[in-house]
Amino acid sequence: MVLRRLVVGLPAVLGVVLVTFVMVRLSGESPVHLLAGPNASPLEIATVTRALGLDRSLPEQLAIYVGRLLHGDLGVSWLSGQPVLAELRDRLPATLELVALAMLLGGGLGVWIGCRAAFRPGSAFDHLVQAAATVTFSIPIYVVGLLAILIFFVALGVAPAPMGRLSMAVLAPPRVTGSLLVDSVLAGDLAALGSAAAQLVLPVGCFALIVAGPTVKHVRAVVADALASEYVAYARACGLPDAMVRRIALRNAVVPIATFLGLEFAHLFAASSLIELTFAWGGVGQYGLNAILQGDFAAVQGYVLLLAVASLIVFFVVDLFVWLVEPRAKTA
Amino acid sequence: MRLGQWVRAEPGTAFGAMLIGTFALMAAFAPLIAPYDPTQARPDAVLLAPSARHWFGTDPNGMDVFSRLVYGSRYAFGVALPALALMLAVGLPVGLVAGYLGGWTDELLIRATDLLRAFPTIVFALALVAAVGQGLGAMIFVIGLLDAPLFARLVRSEVLALRRGTLVESAVVAGNPTWRILLVHLLPNCAQGVTALAAFRMAWAVRISATLSFVGVGIQAPTPEWGVMIKLGAEHIVTGTWWVVLFPALGLILLVLGFNFVADGLSRLMDPRHRAGVR
Amino acid sequence: MKSIRNILATAAIALAAALPAAAQDLIVAAVSGPRGVDGDVWVPGSIESVVNVYESLVRLGRVRGPDGQMQIDPTKVEPHLAQSWKTSPDGREWTFTLRPGVRSFVGNELTASDVVFGWQKSMSQKRTGRFISEASRITNVEALSRYEVKYTLSEPNNLFLRALTHYTPMIIDSREALKNASPEDPFATRWLGANTAGFGAYHLSQNRAGEGAVFVANPNYFGGKLAIQRVIYREIPSGASRMSLLQGGQVQIAEELSHSQLRSLQSDTRLRIGKHPGTGSATVRMNPRIKPFDDLRLRQAVLYATDFDAINKAVFEGLGERSRSILPPSIPGYVKAYTYEHDPGRAKRLLAEAGHPDGVDVTLEYTGVFWWEEPLVLQLRSQLAQVGIRVTPSKLPNTVFAARGAIGKRDLAFATHLANTFVLDAGYALFLSAHSRGSSNRNDYHTPELDTLIETAIIERDPAKARAAVERAQRTHAADATFVDIAFPGTFVAMNACVNGWMWYPTNRIVWRDLSCKR
Repeated sequence: MVLRRLVVGLPAVLGVVLVTFVMVRLSGESPVHLLAGPNASPLEIATVTRALGLDRSLPEQLAIYVGRLLHGDLGVSWLSGQPVLAELRDRLPATLELVALAMLLGGGLGVWIGCRAAFRPGSAFDHLVQAAATVTFSIPIYVVGLLAILIFFVALGVAPAPMGRLSMAVLAPPRVTGSLLVDSVLAGDLAALGSAAAQLVLPVGCFALIVAGPTVKHVRAVVADALASEYVAYARACGLPDAMVRRIALRNAVVPIATFLGLEFAHLFAASSLIELTFAWGGVGQYGLNAILQGDFAAVQGYVLLLAVASLIVFFVVDLFVWLVEPRAKTA
Repeated sequence: MRLGQWVRAEPGTAFGAMLIGTFALMAAFAPLIAPYDPTQARPDAVLLAPSARHWFGTDPNGMDVFSRLVYGSRYAFGVALPALALMLAVGLPVGLVAGYLGGWTDELLIRATDLLRAFPTIVFALALVAAVGQGLGAMIFVIGLLDAPLFARLVRSEVLALRRGTLVESAVVAGNPTWRILLVHLLPNCAQGVTALAAFRMAWAVRISATLSFVGVGIQAPTPEWGVMIKLGAEHIVTGTWWVVLFPALGLILLVLGFNFVADGLSRLMDPRHRAGVR
Repeated sequence: MKSIRNILATAAIALAAALPAAAQDLIVAAVSGPRGVDGDVWVPGSIESVVNVYESLVRLGRVRGPDGQMQIDPTKVEPHLAQSWKTSPDGREWTFTLRPGVRSFVGNELTASDVVFGWQKSMSQKRTGRFISEASRITNVEALSRYEVKYTLSEPNNLFLRALTHYTPMIIDSREALKNASPEDPFATRWLGANTAGFGAYHLSQNRAGEGAVFVANPNYFGGKLAIQRVIYREIPSGASRMSLLQGGQVQIAEELSHSQLRSLQSDTRLRIGKHPGTGSATVRMNPRIKPFDDLRLRQAVLYATDFDAINKAVFEGLGERSRSILPPSIPGYVKAYTYEHDPGRAKRLLAEAGHPDGVDVTLEYTGVFWWEEPLVLQLRSQLAQVGIRVTPSKLPNTVFAARGAIGKRDLAFATHLANTFVLDAGYALFLSAHSRGSSNRNDYHTPELDTLIETAIIERDPAKARAAVERAQRTHAADATFVDIAFPGTFVAMNACVNGWMWYPTNRIVWRDLSCKR
């Protein structure tokens, strides 16, 4: 099964890398003049072009890139002069922390509310929940962030300033995992833990809201479908109590819900860039966004590759989960 | 069903339709509604709070926020509608052909949509627009192209389902050429599903075009587009200037919400279980 | 090993950040940490670091200003790392005697070979340092003895001594740098891009991309004990955050605040705002080789259509200083050359004369490099629309702008620019923006007559004749009407009230050596 997923997934990843590679190079924004400086002579321009590897043909550049990739070298960002792999690795924990917490909170909330709504189909609660889900579904993520800052920081003054993961007045704990929450617990640093948690409240809250909306809708639809299915009707006809009927329905809903959550998690990774931008988070999303806007091709390729690989891993985990839970179910 | 009955039965959809209608009217009659020129920078009217003269206040360039909001609806529809046209123009034929003829067109379609689904669309859209270039045309092109496969897949599955039935068999037996079968017999039967999807994708198109402008690709200043306005306002929130961000944000939310409610209603309409009243 | 170093680096920065009680610390909130520290390779944060790590043979004079504060006197040049110098009669050879006992952070003494090393490095990199060196006509730099270094010029010029005050070519601790040299990299440029080896007041101790850097005082600094022993240079990209941190007392200096932010801080008694008009004015430049800007009357129409004061008020909150010449007022030789004032009627007439009675369509290109570019472009657009010049704004990525403004290409017809002159010399400033070989001459405006005037200004030994050339050059430039020169946005430094001693320098960067902070 691992092999199957790899066989299916790898071409997708490679395809993504190839497409990004071509797109970024073709955009025509060569950084050569910016890097060489305004006094550069044609000779210096040529030198910088050669140093960046831009003097070769496109297929040649691709071959070189893939070759380096296999050695774990993602190239160097011309914007910062640092290796892309190191920069991504530095920033990844910040994004993971955000995404994981949002997923737990939003996904958990979404599943719970969705189930409750499905158990009382057609009720006022059900309608209210669906409408609310549609509303949250309609608000773009950065708008949620901006509105949250407006309400909780500017107007009410209860949230800390949206400027990164830790307040300036607090010491960052020694970096072990990269996650501020985990690291401050490991270091026994309560001040850092408190500050990190406080800074996380708004971004995670906004993000969770965005996740909860579609989750509620999907879960409700799936569970309602399960409840309306024939075997449930049969179970009811057999006189089984409500609680058991629900449990049966839920068991059958687990697979589509898990698949959906997996997809959401993969999408969250990309969507995090907007939240990171709004809250000055400093994660891979913000890094990738900036790279795209500046035409930093090595960084863009690295970021896109990261996203593709993350998706692959997530889908694999979901497959594994499905296989464990429902050995009879064929992989979607 | 009479209008009153319908509104009572489907309050969400009615509300959504009303929202869309309001913004459509706004877009159509913008020059009549907007009190000021939306792109005229006024040096003496910078960052004024909402008042009788400027209902929604002014932005950092002295432009009236209300006028820009009104004209912004033109850009919202101006991107979403042509993008939808592109989605249909590309997606429908591809889906029909892939579903009916099968073979390698079908395989290709499946692979392409899988690729797109594995890939976070926002990043893709961003990179594409950054590569293709600025401007309205580029945005429409990218948004339309990214969603076309969804329509293709939908139509394809509908066609596959219909192929098993007698409709196609009898049409073939009657001697209809392929193109006629596709257009006259199969396409109309996909209409409901396509319409519901179209409403969802319109919502998404409005959202993503604002997001792209917010990030800084696509449409640029001084165009009165909601994403551009939000971006400008975002820089001033922390100092307490709330009106530059709030109004375009509300406009965006309400229009997207309208499309989503209508889309919800349409898909509920299609769901046979719901129609039959089964709970 | 690398991860341990990372841990230490983070801890150091964090640790440093958490010790504001130490009176000898200075915490700065900046847009970007130093992405590099080589004065010849500009990257964000590089100049901010270089002016504090490397010092020069001579420096500009000081004088007490009307407000009792010390300020730069651009008319005088004083000894600094060099204690004296003498010139040959023909003005082509200058011999500097270095001050003995000047030591770097690691303890090496300054010798003539360090000066030579720094110059050779800049020449090999062929960038800013070489540009300045060639503009000052330097052909050779050699060590005559341990403390004597001789400069040979191809011709005597007025720029040379002043150009030595510039931060590049740098004077580098060559003994330290050479430990990191290699046959392919004989001047250790790679190492010098990320590490410092200077004789100046500070030394780069830690640097983490995306977070910031820590600079420590040079214990051997020849200028004596420094009031600020450690500078924590924190990267805070959001202007709103920088302002907030300053107001909260968590940082003592906030860089690059917008004018509206500065205006709102003016009444805050916990803070002090240092200001100076600076040397760079916000301009929109027309390329006289591209239609329709090849017609002088059209260019004049653009100038008469511009309401300079309104733009200053709208974009710079009235805090900008109106510019009156291609030269900034702080450069000796400056005259008020511009004669244009807001006159839309006259603009329309000129436009009709130029053959555009029904108006004309133009594109105005700009970038996101400076915060004022977009607001200024939008205001200008509205003003020009009133006389029939229909402007389409077009924002370009930085990379494209750089490519199109490069020597040889220069096809930006109508675009924003701001050129800072780091050397307060009239000839040099004119050279940058108005000479055919000037690197800031993005709009490709030059004439043979102007080229000659500028070259005269640089090499003419008779001060009266040189001054006359400088004045004529400014007036010629004004008459040719290629610059829509709005105002000097100004250099503003927002500091905690405890910070004393801030002085403006032509680089517009803060020199920490001058500062002290009494808490």
